[in-house]
Amino acid sequence: MKSLIIFLLFFSNLLAYQKGDIISDAMASHLGLKENKIYIVDFFASWCGSCKKELPLISKVNLQIDPSKVEVIGIDVDKDVQRGIKFQESLKANGNLNFRVINDPQNLVVAEFNPIGMPTLYYIKNKKIIDIITGACDDIDEVILNDLKEME
Amino acid sequence: MKSLLILSTLLLFTGCIKDVKPWEKDMLAKETMKDGGINSLSKKFEEHMYFSKEASKGGNGVAGGGCGCN
Repeated sequence: MKSLIIFLLFFSNLLAYQKGDIISDAMASHLGLKENKIYIVDFFASWCGSCKKELPLISKVNLQIDPSKVEVIGIDVDKDVQRGIKFQESLKANGNLNFRVINDPQNLVVAEFNPIGMPTLYYIKNKKIIDIITGACDDIDEVILNDLKEME
Repeated sequence: MKSLLILSTLLLFTGCIKDVKPWEKDMLAKETMKDGGINSLSKKFEEHMYFSKEASKGGNGVAGGGCGCN
């Protein structure tokens, strides 16, 4: 009992999805994941400066990938949905957001993934987390394209 | 009895820990939450006075914003 309390107090981050973990069926269904397809799941928010920089680059990647093999899904963690949608619309107007976005105002999706920072990007195939990129990368587009090459 | 007391004390301590998750840092990322507030000059003057009086410069503050990602 004591060890369980200590575990919950200090190691709750271990409950986060790690590389190699299988996501729950409910989450896979919520995200609309299909088999044998690589999904790039990117967590972002309107208030996150680095996310703003990365989203246009990820959209650029989205134009270069085969949609039958790879799909990008954005998860907007803004608690204020209207603010999140306004942010997405402003990006879409400039062609800087061209992929499917799921609004997560209750933070249920992000809480299940439990990333250690923002932005965080997950590669998922057949419900399995293949890789995780935490934090901002200046050349995230190149990083993703290289990762996808290695995964194929 | 003793173990019950320890357990209840430990449970009370959990109330002291409010873990702010990375996706909950909306408020912390605001301009007004920066050291010196929205007036960037305020911070600059404060730093100027500090290093003039202490004859030291640099080594204070951290780079980036409030979301832990910049």
